[in-house]
Amino acid sequence: MGNTLTIAALASAEKMINAALRYDPATRIGLARLEGKIIALHITTPGIHLFAMPMDDELRLMGNWDGDVDTRISGSLLALAQLGQKEVHNLKDTGVTVVGDLSLLADMQRLVKNLDIDWEEMLSQFTGDIIGHQTAQLIRAKFGWAKERAKSARRLTSEFLTEELKTLPGKPELEDFYRQVDDLRLAVDRATARVEQLIAERKPTMRIEF
Amino acid sequence: MNDKKTTHFGFQQVPVEEKAERVAEVFHSVAAKYDVMNDLMSAGVHRLWKRFTIEASGVRVGHKVLDIAGGTGDLSYQFAKLVGANGQVVLADINASMLGVGRDRLTDRGIAGNINFAQCDAQFLPFPDNTFDCITIAFGLRNVTDKDLALRSMQRVLKPGGRLLVLEFSKPQSEILSKIYDTYSFKVLPFMGKLVTNDAESYRYLAESIRMHPDQQTLKEMMDNAGFVRTEFHNMTGGIVALHKGIKP
Repeated sequence: MGNTLTIAALASAEKMINAALRYDPATRIGLARLEGKIIALHITTPGIHLFAMPMDDELRLMGNWDGDVDTRISGSLLALAQLGQKEVHNLKDTGVTVVGDLSLLADMQRLVKNLDIDWEEMLSQFTGDIIGHQTAQLIRAKFGWAKERAKSARRLTSEFLTEELKTLPGKPELEDFYRQVDDLRLAVDRATARVEQLIAERKPTMRIEF
Repeated sequence: MNDKKTTHFGFQQVPVEEKAERVAEVFHSVAAKYDVMNDLMSAGVHRLWKRFTIEASGVRVGHKVLDIAGGTGDLSYQFAKLVGANGQVVLADINASMLGVGRDRLTDRGIAGNINFAQCDAQFLPFPDNTFDCITIAFGLRNVTDKDLALRSMQRVLKPGGRLLVLEFSKPQSEILSKIYDTYSFKVLPFMGKLVTNDAESYRYLAESIRMHPDQQTLKEMMDNAGFVRTEFHNMTGGIVALHKGIKP
């Protein structure tokens, strides 16, 4: 019974993803180029095994795959989510392990990163163009406001910690400290070179005569 | 003394040569509304059972697939997408009405070029030895007169290393589920059949034929006897349906 439920859950997720992808033609073209490739995804926490296969210009999600796999990716949900967001050239210390075709991972990562779903077009299908556009504008304005608030919250927290509580150094202080460390390192390097030169000058030169 | 060989048709015993004809009548009768009835009878779960079959098939680009008793083409549609332009799918069914519905449906959904249709009997498959990478028979084996003969025929046309997948109704694993399932099959199913296709008898046959079909272990042994190796089965929805898998050595 559990197996049937897993298949049902994945079928629903697949339907939702592909419905959203209909409004991102660039990603669909990218998926079509990877047609037939199988990616096995093992999410360690929580323990989930699933397989993804681009088919036509859609993505197919499967709970089982009894065949060859091109790339096996394993890692925690957090590590995998971060991998989808960042440009990573080396998987060391990312908490993600990959076996198989690495270029397929790079292609998928690029697709996820460049995902750009046209929500306005999606809304317009249900509401018509005018209401769809107005709703999208409203969402964008609200989203922009939330983004701005999040940014200022980050700034205020940092100011509170550095200026009020004085628990952390400020950015200019930190940069000044780094500059001093650099200066000191250069001065030590110069002094070392000078000492070595003086030692070399004091040594008698050996001459070999025939 | 009557030496005529008989076989079961639902709960009745009929002469062997009559069974195919009687089964054909059932499917001629239900062909037009087969998909609607499947969705109604299984509450759409048959799509999940078929989805699991696709996942277990391991079919890739370029493979050759035979979908026996393919009916209205649910599996063939997915396989045609999986094998791509260089692969080949053969949708086979003994029943012309079902095959006609399947062919129209696949054509309407834009499937062409890598699919062929064949009206043939699973017991005597008209293909050369070692032809297919994968063979599936979904909800069809129980209607075949001589199942052993059909399994041997499938083994012959599979390539070595190719796999056979048999998706079929089977024996529920719990007593309670079994009782609910019995009531549903013998009371509700014929009633729904009467409502939708005005044909309660055909759906009574479907319920009876499910009960006469070998259980999980017996079918596995039949596949072993037909020459398949690494045979195994997966129960789905509490054993109401089982997917059997075997590899041709």
